[in-house]
Amino acid sequence: MIEGKLYDGVTAHPHDVRVTVEDGRLALTQDGGWSDRVEATLLKRRDAPSGMLRLGRTDLPGWRLMLALEAEPELAGLLGRHERYGRWIDRIGLVPALVVGGVLTASVVGIGYIAPHWIAPHVPLSWERNLGTAIVGDFGDIRCRDAKGQKALEDLVEKVSPGATKGPDAIKVAALNVPIFNAAALPGGYIVVFKPAITETNPDALAGVLAHEIGHVRHRHVTEALIREFGIGALIRLFAGGVGANAEQIVSLSYTRDNEAEADADSIAALKRANISPKPTADLFTHLSKITGEERGYSAEFLESHPLSGKRAQKFAASFNPKAHYQPALSGAQWDALSDICWKRPEKT
Amino acid sequence: MDSHHEWAAAGDDRAIHFTGNWREYLPIAATNALLIICTLGVYRFWATARQRRYLWSRTRIIDDTLEWTGTGKEMFIGFLIVIAILAPFFLFIQFLFPALIVRGKAEAAGGVLFLFEIALIYLGGFARFRATRYRLSRSWWHGIRGGSDDPGWNFGGEYLGRYALVFMTLFIMFPWATTRLWNSRWNAMSFGPLKFHANLDAEGLKARWALIYVAPIAAAILAFALIATLGLSGPNEGGPNPTLGGAVIAVVLLIYIAIPLATLHWYAKFFRNAANATKLGNLEFGFGASTWDWLKLFLGNLGLAIITLGFGLTYWGYRNWAFMVRHTRIYGSVDLGDLTQSTTHAPREAEGFADAFDIGAI
Repeated sequence: MIEGKLYDGVTAHPHDVRVTVEDGRLALTQDGGWSDRVEATLLKRRDAPSGMLRLGRTDLPGWRLMLALEAEPELAGLLGRHERYGRWIDRIGLVPALVVGGVLTASVVGIGYIAPHWIAPHVPLSWERNLGTAIVGDFGDIRCRDAKGQKALEDLVEKVSPGATKGPDAIKVAALNVPIFNAAALPGGYIVVFKPAITETNPDALAGVLAHEIGHVRHRHVTEALIREFGIGALIRLFAGGVGANAEQIVSLSYTRDNEAEADADSIAALKRANISPKPTADLFTHLSKITGEERGYSAEFLESHPLSGKRAQKFAASFNPKAHYQPALSGAQWDALSDICWKRPEKT
Repeated sequence: MDSHHEWAAAGDDRAIHFTGNWREYLPIAATNALLIICTLGVYRFWATARQRRYLWSRTRIIDDTLEWTGTGKEMFIGFLIVIAILAPFFLFIQFLFPALIVRGKAEAAGGVLFLFEIALIYLGGFARFRATRYRLSRSWWHGIRGGSDDPGWNFGGEYLGRYALVFMTLFIMFPWATTRLWNSRWNAMSFGPLKFHANLDAEGLKARWALIYVAPIAAAILAFALIATLGLSGPNEGGPNPTLGGAVIAVVLLIYIAIPLATLHWYAKFFRNAANATKLGNLEFGFGASTWDWLKLFLGNLGLAIITLGFGLTYWGYRNWAFMVRHTRIYGSVDLGDLTQSTTHAPREAEGFADAFDIGAI
């Protein structure tokens, strides 16, 4: 016989009850003659203050039976285990759950990071083209539209990648009147060069930068980055909050290090084929990597999308052949035209 | 047995107590942290449920503790429901915004962003209401729970309207807006058959709010006076003065400290007034935390996290709850026979909206 206190879930009034176990059921009786029997399957442990046992019923919300903790052994046969970590984890145990969770998490992040690399080449180019057109359109007012300048820009692309501006999968290159030093490959074969990347460089370095972006386009790195961002990137941001901030950083860089190395290798090969000196590109990269933090307005955007290291500049420098007779990437007249590509329109900030 | 047993809530002993201790909570904090990390954050819904179950079960009101019946599963599902509703919306904006910018339609992009912000403020208010309602619906005492029959859509609108005025008046109307919103939200809530009655006004809160505007100015004047004296007595006249540089940093720091302190000073009084102005049936509330108490809580949280290299973060929820309970007072009486079961509808989406917008319920 156990003394207990019962809340019926109808009012907050407590009732003194006596509790016994009969035929696998909980029998409740009261002085006035009231009695009740509860099937064990309906009983559920609830949270109680220390030293107490609180039982609830799955069929009656608010029904609570309060007993001293000493009653536990007597009722043990009727009660399931107390829920601790959550039903799934209670079933397999904490340590196995941690191991399984850890392995699953590592796999999800790993696959989410690697898989886009394998999926991207199989995404139809037309999808990427549609998405790119939907997002960028014709760039509206910010595009620099000087015809001679545009021609020179396309000539430069043709120089490092012959035939690139023709055909259905043509590279569509545009100069944008945006006062940030940057160049980027966008979905659908669009390559954009921001004004300072033209006015503050030279034809050979710009050729290196363009060849690098063409490399991203040709290897489907843009698609790869999109899949990564909207796949695992979104998943981590959704659930992990603060804990996953570091994990997110690993996957949300627009391109992976491998992507960058591949685009660099393409760029070096393209410059060599076009007989353009890689040195100006190397100098530009060295310069940009050195001024990190000093002139953020100038370099931050470019560095964010193209994390630079001294090593990358060195690779370009190493491909320099002192015996070669390099040709300038553009003639003086062409470079003049390109430098003026944004000139026709007053600067818009 | 009396069917009308009355429990005096006031008396020489306090009606509400926190009986937990940090050692007892340690296994929960540690395993929660481990499981959250190992599941890429998915476990956090279950972690929240476990934390609340512990904290509620260690919060004693008169003769019995509270009980939290919310589950990790329902919070997880609630979160997924909300994400399913919001994701297409966010995704659309994410593509629309750059598409407009890149086409040089900056005004249209600005308009889209403006509408987006408005929607976010509305949903923020709605989320806060729903989170309060959800928490009450999962909080039990003596086998009785709380809740609300108001879905909160109108509250979202009121929230948006009042905040629009707050922004337009450079936050001068903030005390007015928050106090009215406190009333609207709590007047829609109930526990069992008892309605909450909140009658808070901005009276007594205006001076402290003005202080937030005055504090940085006063700090700046003080600091400039300091610079003036230091600058005049500086060793190298004309050239760059290191003391002057230090003083400028001091000004900035002072302003950065003065504003949060003045804000905290305001919130301390806001919560004291709000508790005083809120009733539940014959029960009245009080809240005794001073600005200094709040400051100790926040600095304690910060210090704990630093000393334990981050593990202390897992105790923030515990410390905050214990702080709230320890400073809360309940006076009056409750007729247990009249405290019947709540007939309100319990929301299914749990705290999904509040979670999506990272908003608390208090």
